[in-house]
Amino acid sequence: MKFFGFLIVSLCGGLLLYASSEFPDWGDPDSPASRHLSPHYIEESLAETGVPNLVTSVLADYRSFDTMFETAVIFCAGLACLLLLRKYKPETDRYYRHIPTGVILHFKNSRKSLPVGSEFELMDADWVPYDLVIKTVCRILIPFIQLYALYVVAHGDFSPGGGFQGGVIFGSSLILLAISYNLRTAVQRIKERVLGFLCVLGVLIYAGLGVLCMFLGGEFLDYSRLAAILPADPVHVRALGMLGVEIGVGIAVMAVMAAIYVNIASAGRHDEGL
Amino acid sequence: MNSVAPALLILAPFLAALLCSAFSWLERRLCFPTALLGLCVSLLAALDLLLQAGPAGVIQYKMGGWSPPFGIEYRIDALSALVILIIACIALLNLAASHRQVLRDMQDRFGTFYAVYLLFVTGLFGVTATGDLFNLYVLLEITSLTGYALIAMGDGDRGPLSSLNYLFIGVIGASFYLLGVGYLYIMTGSLNMVDVARLLPPLYGSSAILVAFVFCMLGIWIKMALFPLHVWLPNAYTYAPAAVSRVIAPLMTKVMVYVMIRLMFTVFGLEYVFEQLDLSRTVVWLATLAVLAGAVMALAQRDLRKMFSYVIVSEIGYMVGGAWLGNELGFTGAVLHILNDALMTFALFLVLGNLLFRLRGVSFEDLRGSFVGMPWTMAGFVLAGLSIIGVPPTCGFFSKWYLILAGLEAGAYQFVAALVLSSLICAVLFFRIIEIAFFEAPGPSSGDTGQNGQLREAPVSMLIPLGLVSISLLAVGVYAGSVVRGVIAPFLGLYPIP
Repeated sequence: MKFFGFLIVSLCGGLLLYASSEFPDWGDPDSPASRHLSPHYIEESLAETGVPNLVTSVLADYRSFDTMFETAVIFCAGLACLLLLRKYKPETDRYYRHIPTGVILHFKNSRKSLPVGSEFELMDADWVPYDLVIKTVCRILIPFIQLYALYVVAHGDFSPGGGFQGGVIFGSSLILLAISYNLRTAVQRIKERVLGFLCVLGVLIYAGLGVLCMFLGGEFLDYSRLAAILPADPVHVRALGMLGVEIGVGIAVMAVMAAIYVNIASAGRHDEGL
Repeated sequence: MNSVAPALLILAPFLAALLCSAFSWLERRLCFPTALLGLCVSLLAALDLLLQAGPAGVIQYKMGGWSPPFGIEYRIDALSALVILIIACIALLNLAASHRQVLRDMQDRFGTFYAVYLLFVTGLFGVTATGDLFNLYVLLEITSLTGYALIAMGDGDRGPLSSLNYLFIGVIGASFYLLGVGYLYIMTGSLNMVDVARLLPPLYGSSAILVAFVFCMLGIWIKMALFPLHVWLPNAYTYAPAAVSRVIAPLMTKVMVYVMIRLMFTVFGLEYVFEQLDLSRTVVWLATLAVLAGAVMALAQRDLRKMFSYVIVSEIGYMVGGAWLGNELGFTGAVLHILNDALMTFALFLVLGNLLFRLRGVSFEDLRGSFVGMPWTMAGFVLAGLSIIGVPPTCGFFSKWYLILAGLEAGAYQFVAALVLSSLICAVLFFRIIEIAFFEAPGPSSGDTGQNGQLREAPVSMLIPLGLVSISLLAVGVYAGSVVRGVIAPFLGLYPIP
């Protein structure tokens, strides 16, 4: 079996390598890929879209329909996690730790629960004993990470960056919070329901901007139509439209990252967070 | 300004999915009406597209307002409009038919379930309507990803496991397709289907284009489960929840056949596929093998769901063979069979869903005497079975007739023999079950029984869709001629077979 697998892999790999001999040379300025569409993107995109970053203009304007569905792919991943991992039945076995004394109480087969606060804390999959040094360092770091994430989202028009990267950075700050404190603290800061809404909101901003363009008489995602309601000319309004969808992407990616982490880390049962 | 129907088609289920997901946190009772509304709008858009596409030839929609090679365009001709209509009808009917089952089996998460379901349908619409090779990949990913999630919801441990198998193989299929598109892009510099087709003819001799074609085809064949690449299909379709397998089984494989036809006709061009490559004979042999292997393996099954899954494997062979025979009759048969097989498979899986709603399982022992308790469901089963066997005037007969004629015209006698043989095997398959269900006394182990211990008929909300599909099996058979004239002839007018 392993032999057949190896045979198939080397056959496919060999075929791909063999055909690559016909490719244009590395970095060849006369290759079809750099002569057919690229000149237009390189020469015209600033004039057509008002965005100095070529990558952003191709990603978020010329091919923004693709990008919307890339965001939807991420949204799907979050939904799939929720659909498959989330357990809605609360645990019947609970452990509580009395914080001042450190005594641990065990509730067996009981639906009773203690008020969680400064006196008792719930010990389950979400609970980890936390460390003062890590906690303090992370508490200082997290706001800077989030600020940087916002910068990456907002600056996508001009420099490398954009919604996906910024969203991932922001999401990782939430995950850092969950790791350094514990999952419950993170979930109490951003409730599961809020995360769910943010996932939807991000994609909805993207699709909604597109639909708004349709209501203003253009095609789906034709940002130039936004000039009717925004104080800019039809070229520069495209840059604003792109910023709008990038913000949507950022929100969606951030929320999905955090939602996936929370669902996987707690094996789907974070019933206190609701 | 152009018609907004292409955008509406895909946006309605997409926005409905987002709203469903939001409502699942707010007011869960709104999820089902939202989903229903979204798919109804899509159905109207699909009807509008079919009516326009017949006379107009091609409907274009420029996403973002950018003209084609620079932006993404949607290109809908008669064939895609037909496939879109099939998707819209089946997705909507299944949504209505499975509502009670979903409420019963997934009370705590049906909002999310509907959102994922709608995203799956959105992906199918997009794959069919798009005129851009990379956009097709993105939407294929949406469809696949949601498909994996939906299948993993099924049957205890085996659902997730079969979904994982499907995921591994499906990812390989999708990346093969993407590799092919990458090679095409390197050689032509474009991603728009029509633009690529315009740039390709000078490159026909190139081995990179050959590899691109081979990898695109392999990827699509994996996704459609053509015979040696079918291993993921039977388990995935068997262990998925009934509400899911009913939409995935009729649509996923058929849409992939459509994508194959689209790549052959629109992107690579028939001259390349049939005259430059001369692969037609090999692929028809492969299809012949698929037809026979699927039928024989179906004969070996003792569980209705597994049996139907192998029948699908066999039917895929019909369509691939028909499309690759390289004559107009074969293509007509293949396209008719996309329509017919989608309907027949849907009818079969609706029957399965109804049986599973009342019975404990659907192995042959559980079916004993089910005619007595569920006469309407089993009547639907008989009709669908007759159609799969190919008894006139059900629709299955007409596509098989075209395929047989095409095989004779092309001299592919092995394919004709396989078609006839698989029809005979299907006759054995279905009459065996009809016999068990009609003549044998009900076993003691039947599932959900009424007050007097009798097996009960499925609820009306599940019978009406089955009735509609059963009627359509006959209606499509009777009006097969109009489908050929209204859909297939205009498409062949756009892409004449040499």
